[in-house]
Amino acid sequence: MEGFLNLILEPINEVYLKFKGFSPNLLAMLTIIIIGICAAWLVKTVFLKLFKAIKFDSWCDRMGITALMRKGDMWAKPSDVSVAVIFWLLVTVSMMVGFSALDIQAINNLVNQFFLYLPNAFSAVLILFIGYMVSGFLSRAALIAAVNSGLSYAKLLANAIRLLLTVLFFAMALEQLNVAPNIVVSAFTIIFGGIVIALAISFGVAGIETARKMIEGKKAGSGKNDKGDVEHI
Amino acid sequence: MADFYQTGIITTLHRLGKPSLERIESELVGYSKTRPVALVLPALYSEFEGKAMPKIIDELAKVTYINKIVLVLAKASEKEFIKVKNLMSAVPYEVKVIHNDGKRIKEIYDTLGRNDLNPGKDGKGRSAWLAYGYIIADGICDVIALHDCDIVTYSREMLARLCYPVVNPNIDYVFCKGFYSRVTNKMHGRVTRLLITPLGRSLRTLTEDHPFMVFLDSFRYPLAGEFCMTTDMARVNRIPWDWGLEVGALAEVYRNYSPRRICQVDIAETYEHKHQILSADDASKGLMKMTVDICKSIFRTLASEGVVFSDGFFKTLQVAYLRMAEDTIMKFEADAAINGLTFDRHEEAKAVEAFTKGIGMAAQVFFENPMGTALIPNWNRVTSAIPGILDMLKRAVDEDNR
Repeated sequence: MEGFLNLILEPINEVYLKFKGFSPNLLAMLTIIIIGICAAWLVKTVFLKLFKAIKFDSWCDRMGITALMRKGDMWAKPSDVSVAVIFWLLVTVSMMVGFSALDIQAINNLVNQFFLYLPNAFSAVLILFIGYMVSGFLSRAALIAAVNSGLSYAKLLANAIRLLLTVLFFAMALEQLNVAPNIVVSAFTIIFGGIVIALAISFGVAGIETARKMIEGKKAGSGKNDKGDVEHI
Repeated sequence: MADFYQTGIITTLHRLGKPSLERIESELVGYSKTRPVALVLPALYSEFEGKAMPKIIDELAKVTYINKIVLVLAKASEKEFIKVKNLMSAVPYEVKVIHNDGKRIKEIYDTLGRNDLNPGKDGKGRSAWLAYGYIIADGICDVIALHDCDIVTYSREMLARLCYPVVNPNIDYVFCKGFYSRVTNKMHGRVTRLLITPLGRSLRTLTEDHPFMVFLDSFRYPLAGEFCMTTDMARVNRIPWDWGLEVGALAEVYRNYSPRRICQVDIAETYEHKHQILSADDASKGLMKMTVDICKSIFRTLASEGVVFSDGFFKTLQVAYLRMAEDTIMKFEADAAINGLTFDRHEEAKAVEAFTKGIGMAAQVFFENPMGTALIPNWNRVTSAIPGILDMLKRAVDEDNR
């Protein structure tokens, strides 16, 4: 009978001992997460006040960032979105740190991977942000130049430039995130290469006549003097 | 039938004989292919529950030359907004309903506010301004027509006659204001008859026919809420958001365009809409509020044109106005008598007394704050401050209407 009781109690005792050994880790995890959430809330409040002080929303409105958000049907203030991103990022980081306190190998690996991936994510966001600025600036510059040159397709040209640059920067960001890098690079090479070849062919075909006239003009011009000079009646 | 006499420095297009609506509409269909027309309707939800709006929707459903309707709905909940969208679906062409109290439009107002651009308080002026912004962002329509949504006697002929002078490229006006007689068994339109006209003429005397007063006096119904204009004008004109809307809008038209390209058109035999109370003792509502806002708008426009106002000027103005208004009452009494209309001379005299008081109040406000409340900035100014605002507005409206 005693042997039978031992058979029952031993596993319970073993679980209890394991839990006893594990409970400080669990407590540490919970403490880290709670402190992390409090710290994230504090940072969120500080950033909200900072953004208000530096008129971050107004800056976003002028830089076109708000317009970009609205295109994605996001109708919150840029400062609210930014602080929400900061808050959840800090909460995620504190949860990862908290999980690592459990000292479980599988979770430790996951946490390591997460922290190793963070720089890539930051780089991708930075590339997208800079890309948005650069594409906006260059497309605007192309629009002004094309309008001043009297091109009827100025808006189309500016939109095409913006689209191409957006594709370029998007591909760069995806590559940075290691999202199917081979496919991204191949797809980008094919699309971009295709566009460039198409432009080269169309320019070449459309310019045959002009090029012929220029060459003939040069040949003919080499025999005559000052063809373009002012002629007196 | 009206006479054909031309008054003032703008063109007056009369209703002569019995012009065919079918002919005007068929011409408009042709012209609108190259000059697409948008119709702006500033509306309150309560107007959909009255008897005017159902009739207006029925009439608009028969119109074939309007490219799109932009209805700005104010004082409506989300449920009421959806209901209005369903009601407007009876119109067989594109209708966009702007939900003025919706979260997206509120965010647009917030965006303007944090960039120091004041779109003013809720009202017809702000609603119209918002609708212009949407039409500019949409980039399709070259002409904008606007009328109120409380017209009980609405017929589509009103709209056709209103649009014709601006849409027809052969006569090519940039701004056309509607006029009509507001007569039932008596004469209505007290503010126009007993305030604007006598005040305008008194000011003409005192300012030695200042061009703006001559311009304003040329309109037969300056407070008419119905007008049609080019989209380019909507870009450059600022709009008052208070009761000075109509007069302030005319001041902007005067400032930016030649009177040769401005006209007024007789749009209806008769016109009936909701009436305001006089509210002689309370200047914060009714016709008294309207009087003060209108007078302030006129004084500020004249001041911006270089007219110097003094205490003596306003005292003389009040006396001159009172005499002019009393003479006007006698003219209208005679007019009513020959046409067999009811005419309450005592009520008219009481209105004039209230308006005289209102002029004094407006003068006092003007002295205290000559700059006044800023007009709603024009869209060129707004887009220079926030380059993406038109895209945002278009997105907000399109998403609300999805």
